[in-house]
Formats: sequence, structure tokens, C-alpha cells
Amino acid sequence: MSTTLVDMGARDRRSDKDADFSAYMSARQAALYRTAYLLAGDHAGAEDLLQTAFAKLYLSWDRIRDREALDGYVRRIMVNENNSLWRRAWKRREHTTDTIPETGAVDTYDDGMGGALWSFVQTLPPKQRSVVVLRYYEQLSEAEIADVLGISVGTVKSQASRALAALRARAPHSLNPHESGDDAR
Amino acid sequence: MSPTPLEDQVHDALHRTAEPLQRAPFTVTDVRARARRIQRRRTAVAGAAVAAVLAIAIPVGAGMVGPGPRSDVPPATQPPAPRITGTVRIDPLSASVGAATTVPLINVDEPSLTVDGETVDLPRRYDQLTPYVEGWIGIAFTDDGGGRAVQVLDPDFRVLDEAAPASGMVVSADGSRIAWASYDGSRWVVVDRDRDGSREERQTPLAPGPQDARVRPVGFLPGDALLVARTDPSGQLESAIVVGPDGTTSPLPDTLALGSASDVTGLVSMKTSVTADGSCWEVRDAGAGGAVAWQTCDYSLLGFSPDGRHLLGFTDYLTPEGSPTLAVLDAATGERVLDFELVGSRTSVVGIQPEVGWEDDETVVATLVTGDRQYVVRLGLDGTVERVGGEAVEVEPGDVSLKLAAPSVVQQ
Repeated sequence: MSTTLVDMGARDRRSDKDADFSAYMSARQAALYRTAYLLAGDHAGAEDLLQTAFAKLYLSWDRIRDREALDGYVRRIMVNENNSLWRRAWKRREHTTDTIPETGAVDTYDDGMGGALWSFVQTLPPKQRSVVVLRYYEQLSEAEIADVLGISVGTVKSQASRALAALRARAPHSLNPHESGDDAR
Repeated sequence: MSPTPLEDQVHDALHRTAEPLQRAPFTVTDVRARARRIQRRRTAVAGAAVAAVLAIAIPVGAGMVGPGPRSDVPPATQPPAPRITGTVRIDPLSASVGAATTVPLINVDEPSLTVDGETVDLPRRYDQLTPYVEGWIGIAFTDDGGGRAVQVLDPDFRVLDEAAPASGMVVSADGSRIAWASYDGSRWVVVDRDRDGSREERQTPLAPGPQDARVRPVGFLPGDALLVARTDPSGQLESAIVVGPDGTTSPLPDTLALGSASDVTGLVSMKTSVTADGSCWEVRDAGAGGAVAWQTCDYSLLGFSPDGRHLLGFTDYLTPEGSPTLAVLDAATGERVLDFELVGSRTSVVGIQPEVGWEDDETVVATLVTGDRQYVVRLGLDGTVERVGGEAVEVEPGDVSLKLAAPSVVQQ
């Protein structure tokens, strides 16, 4: 079977797409992995989130005109995937019948106040946690968070408020507003 | 939002946790392999949908152009939604096929659960299912007469605990809490639990009474309260009870049936009178002693959006076939925001089932029956109508097979 010009054109386009996508992945994978880790709370979950997000981005690559918006797309997919209670339950069901791939990863963080706060952040409901990660790690505005999560700015504010209240309630005394100076503001 | 010391500490903690991570575990080959899996699943779902409706020709590659599936790659910035005037018609045969819904579906005839386009067989018939701790909580049918049991299940749907008879269950808007009621032999007990099992369950026994004075949770209210409906067995009318976080109960008077509750705004909807050809409903503020916010005799008011801003209005005379129309109303004022009407509603028996779900603050997922087929559709507040792929099934007249696994509106 001879190779046609149409075949060659398709191959060239695929090659260009893969090169562009590869360049984006090389540049941004490590940074986006950190966000995935904060959302998922462990390395296996982070890898799953990020790979799914990259895969969905790859499938939509040709439709995305604004290359400046790529990180936002990936973040949005990761947050939506991570917030799906059903997706998490589905994964658990798969894991009870399939072998869980062992990553051998060891979580690393300090064991002082940062470690304590991080452990409290991990106990927040997924939507509150997403708001916390997007606000205090990604440093997005409330409007940007609303856009990523597909919710209103008011809901972002209420989720953030509930998350901080929960952290205050669970955190050690050194984070109590009376000792940290919150009351002074 | 000016930073407080706690916010500064959260910022620092997240950065200290994340910054040491220098991982780049994937190659483009890995990502392409995952993309192929996703694409195969989407193709299978879309193919099943096309086969089900038999006669719709979709051009090759149609799924690869135009706007992406709602849940995957949205635009970077959302333009303000245009104000839709007039009525949006729902025609499942001509609607575009959208991405699989994030609202899971149960097929009660051939017991199975579909999540994000993937289906697994269920070991028994369930009316509702929702994730709980490491497994699930399900409302199982115990007989053909509407009997139900609440079951705590492991990840593979093995029963760990069971109570019967039980009501349907409701889930809070943020998904963190689940509630149901079960009968202990002398009284109905309202139970609510944190989904992650982090708090001990709260049990609120109601006044002793017969089993057929059925109790069901209608929805959560702000401050860990619950709106509960209790049926009067003689007239099948429902009275309203607010269960407080401390287990206290207080009635909301003058109701005939309960519709929905918002745990964001504290508004509740309830039927308060019947007319010659329909019914009248009120929206009340449970936080203000049940003060009436507004009333209507045009709609049955069911289903607040997760953010509490909108409320769904079905026909004021609901039948088992459902409603031929669906209005999206401003929950605070009752002003109509958008009208949907099912194609064929004036010439044949068709209906939107009232057990709908909100995918997000702007999107409703509903099942509808037209002719002998049941479809799942996604309705946007911007007036978009999509058929959710792969979900058209044959049904007997007056029957439904597909149900939302955890609907926003629970009627039983």
C-alpha cells in the first residue's frame, strides 16, 4: 500500500502536536505535579490526577488556541477529577480487585507547624481543600477560583471561610486566633 | 480577603510541603496511552447512544470539532451567560451528544451503576447509591411494593450493615453529609452521618408511631439542621419537621407535601394547597421561623441548586409520567429565569422525571421519557440541551429504568 500525501500530512500534524505537547509537559510537569499532590494528598493519587489531566489536555490540544491558558485547563481538570466523590469511590472499587501500583514514594514535609497544618488541610472536604490549594498555593483570586471550580464567587468565599474555620478548630493552640493575632485585625 | 496569620501559615505550609517535590513521572507516550483509553471509552459511549436512537447520522469526526465536553476543557474565561428569552425545547433525538454525566446513574431493571461512562453490575436492585467512607451507602429495594433498606457496603457492594425499613437518603450540597430515616419497631429515627465517617452518626428518634407514618429527610439546612417530612397515613399528607443539630424537633406548619431544602440559604419549598386543576406551593425561610418568601400556583417547586440561587419548577399537577415542562426560577423571588419544554408534550405522553440532579450550580441532569424510551439530558442555565451519551433505554409505559443514583430531589 502506497503512502499518500494525505497520510503524510496527518503524520506531520501528529508529529507537530506531540512535539508541542512534549515541550509543554517538560516545562510544566513538575510544577503541576506539586498542585496535584496538594489536591490528592499522596503520590499515587497525584500521579493519577495529573496523568488524566494531561491525557484530556492531549485529546483537546488542537482546539486550544490560547497557549497561555494551558495551566488553567490542567488545574481545572485536576480539581474536577479530584472533587468527584464518585471517581474516588470507583477507584477504590478497582483497587480492591486489581493490584495497586506501588509507587514507593515517601511523603516529605517538615514535622513542625507546617506538617501539622498540612495534615489538617488533608482532612478538609474536597471542595474546601481545592479552594485552599488554589487560593494559598496557586494564589488565584476568588474570581479565578470560581472559574476553575465552576461555582460562584460567593460559594468560593463561603467554602474558604468554612475551610479556615475548620482549620482553626482543628489546629493546635499556637494557631488559635487569640494567640496568632487574628483578633487584632 | 486580606491575609490573616492563619492564612499566611496555610500558605507557608502548602509551599513547604510542595516545593521539595521535583517529580515529572510521565512521558508523552504514557499520556498518549491514557488518552487512548479515555477516547475508547468516549467512543463506546457515543456509539451506544447512536445505536439506541437508531436513525441519527453523526458525521465522522463530529465529536472532534466544536466545543469540548463540558467537564474536560472549558474556555479559559467564561463569558457572561446570555439571557435566554422564550422557551427552550428539549428534543433528545436532535440534541447533541455531550460527555458522560458526572451524576451517576442506576439502571433499576438490569441492576447496574454507571459512573462517568463506565458501568458495573450491581448485586441487587438499588434505588440510590452514594460513596461512603471506603465503600458505599445504598438504598436497596426489599420487595416489589416499595419497601427499602439502607445498606452500608464495602467497595465491591458487599453488605456490611443494614437497617429496614428505611426511607430514601439525601446528600448535602457539598457532598459531605448523608441522611436517611429507618423504623426501629416503634418509631422512625432520623440518621445522619459525615460521608468520610469522621464524626459519630447523629440519631434523632421522632415521636413513637406506626410504620406507615413514614418519615423521610427532604434536605439539609444551614447549621447542621435537617428538613424532614412525616406522612399522615390516613390522608397521605406530609407535615414538616426541622431537626436541629442538638436533636430538637420543631414543626413548620400548614404543609401538604414537601419539596426541597437549601443548606446554603435555609429556604424550603412546600405544597400548601390544591386547586381544581393543580396545586399551590410556597418558598419559606426555615431560618426565619418559616416566614413565607413567595408563593405560586404555577409550579411544583422541587430542587434547589447547590448554591441555593435557583429552584426548579415542574408542572403544578405532577403525575407518574413526570412533567412536560421544567422552569428554572430565582429561588429568592420566584422570578422565572428559563423555561424548558419537552418536544411532543402536547401530542403524546412524555415527561421529565422530578428526581433530577444538579451537576453544578449551572447545570441540571434529568431523565425523561418520550414514547417507549428513556433518555438522560443535561440542561444548562444558558439554554443548552445535551443528550448524555449511551443512556437511552426501552421502558414500559408509565415506567422508568434509569434513575439518578443520588438525586437532588428525592420524592419517595
